[in-house]
Amino acid sequence: MDKLKIIDANERFSPDIESQWIAQAQQGDQQAFHRIYENYHRRIYALCWRMLADKDSAEDVCQEVFVQLWQKISNFRGESKFSTWLHSVASNIALGHIRKNKTWLQRIFSIEDQVVEDVAVDMPQCSNLDKNILKLPERARLVFVLFAIEGYRHEEIASMLGMAVGTSKAQYHRARGLLRESLSE
Amino acid sequence: MKENNITDNSAEKNLQVAIAKLPKEISPERDLWSGIDRAINQNTRVLEKNNTRKVIMPTAWAASVVAAVLLTWITLGPELSTTQPSINLVAEIQHNFQQQKQAMLVNFGTPDIKQLPIAMQAELIKLASAQKTISKALVEDPNNSDLLNLLRWTQQQELDLLKQLYSPQWQEI
Repeated sequence: MDKLKIIDANERFSPDIESQWIAQAQQGDQQAFHRIYENYHRRIYALCWRMLADKDSAEDVCQEVFVQLWQKISNFRGESKFSTWLHSVASNIALGHIRKNKTWLQRIFSIEDQVVEDVAVDMPQCSNLDKNILKLPERARLVFVLFAIEGYRHEEIASMLGMAVGTSKAQYHRARGLLRESLSE
Repeated sequence: MKENNITDNSAEKNLQVAIAKLPKEISPERDLWSGIDRAINQNTRVLEKNNTRKVIMPTAWAASVVAAVLLTWITLGPELSTTQPSINLVAEIQHNFQQQKQAMLVNFGTPDIKQLPIAMQAELIKLASAQKTISKALVEDPNNSDLLNLLRWTQQQELDLLKQLYSPQWQEI
């Protein structure tokens, strides 16, 4: 039974099958695209949810990611792993969504949102750390998610968020400090 | 001081462990696919509509030009001769055109024109009607080079339109 499960999991993530789905989706095959969605939407949703710290926005942005993926999938040339490419598309869309929803005052003075309280109460599947990540101030949260979870380098994060590399590192340390504190409470 | 360091180390270790254990996947509470599916299909329809418009627009222009030229020719053109002309050249042009058109349709698997969108059928009808009018005018004035050119031009428009409608194309995303 366990063996069967392993085989099933291997098939699910086999790069050959995935390449086939991508090629078919690039030719306009919606069934193949649906398989790609089935394979990745939970990961993309997790990324959006951690970046946006809001369930409803995360769902909307996750949908937007897949709609844009359908339109842009022909741009994927296989130079990087598909998952890496898709995560970078998703991160950029989520950041765009955050920028769009800022007030003009926040945009001009780079004012951060207040720390979010009690945000994850109605999400039973999220871990204690996730609950605390969502409570981080916005910039510290974004840097932490992109660096510690998504594996981006500080140089890349700095460019994505329009900040200095040093600021990205400082925000990361700030996030870690806040998380350490909240986890030991 | 030493106690603080130990606490910090332990908190750091806890954080490391918690990061490593973070779930890679989280399921959204609502079904997201239905919205994505709707958006994708809407976009595809808009794309198809734009492609249809791309085909219709030049044809509509062509038909308008034919109509304008014909109108000008009928109102300002030379008086028609009353002698019975030879219409061999016109007949030959028509015959060549029909042969070309037939060969093209056979190449495309003899498609049923009635299956085309109504707007396309209307364009084809307009072109056929323009050719008919020009041919009628040529019966009266068979050596009129302007009319002969106009006839060839409208025939070419029809062939181009059929080619655009039936030749296989790659889908743009």
